[in-house]
Amino acid sequence: MKRKWLWSTVFASLLIVLGFMLPQQRVQAAEKTYTIGTDVTFAPFEFADKNNKYVGIDIDLMNAIAKTEGFKVDIKPLGFNAAVQALEAGQIDGVIAGMSITKERQEKFSMSDPYYKSGVVMAVAKGAKIQSLKDLRGKKVAVKTGTASADYANSVKAKYGFSTVTFDDSNNVYDNVKTGNAQACFEDKPVMQYAIATSYKNDLELAKNFKMAMANNYGIAVKQSEAATLTKKINAGIKKLKANGQYDKIVRKYLGNGSEASQAKKTAAMQETDRSFMGLLKSNWGTLMSGLGETLWLTIVGIVCATIVGILIGLLGVVPNKFLQGVSTTFIYIFRGLPMMVLALFIYSGVPSLIDQKVPAFIAGVITLTLNEGAYTAAFVKGGISAVDGGQMEAARSLGLPWGKSMRRVILPQGVKIMIPSFVNQFIITLKDTSILSVLGLLELTQTGKIIIARNMEGFKIWAMVALIYLVIITLLTWLSNWVQKKVNA
Amino acid sequence: MSTRVEMKDVRKAYGDNEVIKGVDLQVQDNEVVVLIGPSGAGKSTVLRMMNGLETTTDGEIYVDGKDIAHAGKNIDQIRENIGMVFQHFNLFPNMSVLGNVTLAPIELGKKSKAEAEKEAKTFLEVVGLTDKADAMPASLSGGQKQRVAIARALAMHPDIMLFDEPTSALDPEMVGDVLGVMRRLAERGMTMVIVTHEMGFAKEVADRVVFFGDGKILEQGTPTQIFDHPQHPRLQTFLKQVLEA
Ligand SMILES: Nc1ncnc2c1ncn2[C@@H]1O[C@H](COP(=O)(O)OP(=O)(O)OP(=O)(O)O)[C@@H](O)[C@H]1O
Ligand SMILES: [Mg+2]
Repeated sequence: MKRKWLWSTVFASLLIVLGFMLPQQRVQAAEKTYTIGTDVTFAPFEFADKNNKYVGIDIDLMNAIAKTEGFKVDIKPLGFNAAVQALEAGQIDGVIAGMSITKERQEKFSMSDPYYKSGVVMAVAKGAKIQSLKDLRGKKVAVKTGTASADYANSVKAKYGFSTVTFDDSNNVYDNVKTGNAQACFEDKPVMQYAIATSYKNDLELAKNFKMAMANNYGIAVKQSEAATLTKKINAGIKKLKANGQYDKIVRKYLGNGSEASQAKKTAAMQETDRSFMGLLKSNWGTLMSGLGETLWLTIVGIVCATIVGILIGLLGVVPNKFLQGVSTTFIYIFRGLPMMVLALFIYSGVPSLIDQKVPAFIAGVITLTLNEGAYTAAFVKGGISAVDGGQMEAARSLGLPWGKSMRRVILPQGVKIMIPSFVNQFIITLKDTSILSVLGLLELTQTGKIIIARNMEGFKIWAMVALIYLVIITLLTWLSNWVQKKVNA
Repeated sequence: MSTRVEMKDVRKAYGDNEVIKGVDLQVQDNEVVVLIGPSGAGKSTVLRMMNGLETTTDGEIYVDGKDIAHAGKNIDQIRENIGMVFQHFNLFPNMSVLGNVTLAPIELGKKSKAEAEKEAKTFLEVVGLTDKADAMPASLSGGQKQRVAIARALAMHPDIMLFDEPTSALDPEMVGDVLGVMRRLAERGMTMVIVTHEMGFAKEVADRVVFFGDGKILEQGTPTQIFDHPQHPRLQTFLKQVLEA
């Protein structure tokens, strides 16, 4: 009897998970919609404007290409690394993110014709003595991982005798120069000018004696299987737009005539006017709240799934059956041991190539939470049950009660009391862990913060807001759980 | 008189350490058998083997003719007829006294809730705790707890009752109450196997006393034989120690 109940619960939860995945089956629409990934932190090529609408040269260009060529695009700001990984896994059809055309990328993807020619510039702290490559001997240079500027820095660092430090976010690159941890940074010209025009006006400047180095061409990466279709359309589109002047219009909208002053003027128009904490909070309130909404939704679904799975796996761990105990121990060992970010990326980018089926970011996020938090839950469920005095099971069994009934009527009610504080703790951890899922490009609170900062470069103020929101929610959650705990113990 | 429990050359080892070294023991219907012996002799282990709480390495155990050691899933059904009372009571702290006593009959479908509760009251009367039906175990004294534990076991109408040092964890002034209840059960003809250090009680209620030493039965007989005319030197030493204490 008991076993049947257990299996039907396992079965039901599997159905729930599958139910989530079903609507994601590929649906062939009348007009083909391509999913294009993009970066979140690469202004002026892609960034959220002050109304938190996605704009930028890449965004406008991609939309214009789609329009002239008659297809639909769904542009997803996933973050550069996540976007490239998603493309490799075939989760999306293309990436437009100021990607330089390199040999490696041409081998892996179908790269479009160049659509923008950029150059690397050097920036230094305002008024610094260092103004040329020669001045860099023995100094540190900050670069963003995976960019053409990083490649450039590495190619000349031996010659000029400097070392490099790498960061994932442009914001961190600039801050390191500003604070003097690094003495210079390399960056694509429009990107650097954008940063200086926003919040680094008083901190950074372009190095005066540095000639723009290494022209690099931006291209759109497309997955190989779409080379004959999508890449072809994109190339035709770029050609048409360049010919009819639309392309120039798009570029001018963000860069002006390309000079520092001209771009600064264009940039200023796209920024929040009130840069105080309260001003920024007000103008970004809506976006932050929608990020919070996603965070809460992930947390709730994650907690429910992780709790179900955790309890089942925890119970398997105390069933008097060596095989099932092994399953439980192994599950806990693997999913508690794996760093959550690795697990998330594996499920999001690794698994799809295995099962030949896209895994939507939200589902990947929920599965990650379910496995990781589920493993922790299973561990304390197991622990809570084991903490119940062994004599209780013996007394129940001596009365003739079978194992399952003894467990349910005698052991579990006592074990649950022991587990409750751990459950509360786990809920709070789950809420915090959703921030790790920003690597999947999920627009939860942390990712939302990153996106806002990519536009206005106000790292300190925006992270303070994000931190405050987390604290408020966690405080509310703690109050709620204390209240529930009191009810249960009453 | 039929045989309730039959153990044949029963052995148990933990790894290389054999702790029960070939025990043959029979318990007849209505018989009260008391197991005595020094600490670590194997009394609890043997007692717990009789309802399958402890596995055997070798040998055979039959309770009412049913093979306990190889019962598999039937063990639950066999256990319904064997009541067990523990040294540390093991009451379920998440249920009231009444809940403790009625849990098994209700869960196993023996009785409706109303019937079980009605009957539970009569068992609580037997152990003298009618007024504690709604109390939680935590609010009871040790002696009261143990008497509830006895009522809980009785609720399944067992043919045999096993007691593992039922009074060892009690304050001296509580011991009498529990022994009194056990005495009444014996008078009613309940088959009982009791591990105890209460020699006076053993002398009074036992039909047979079994002396364990080092995983074996070293001597057994009537209380008079065991207490007044002990033969085995180990038994003589043991009794001397116990009586001096
Ligand atoms: N789980 C176990 N692992 C290893 N040895 C054990 C285990 N349980 C009991 N023993 C050993 O088995 C022997 C018999 O133990 P048992 O509890 O039956 O003794 P006892 O006669 O009831 O003693 P006491 O009067 O102290 O209760 C002891 O030597 C004990 O150390
Ligand atoms: Mg013992």
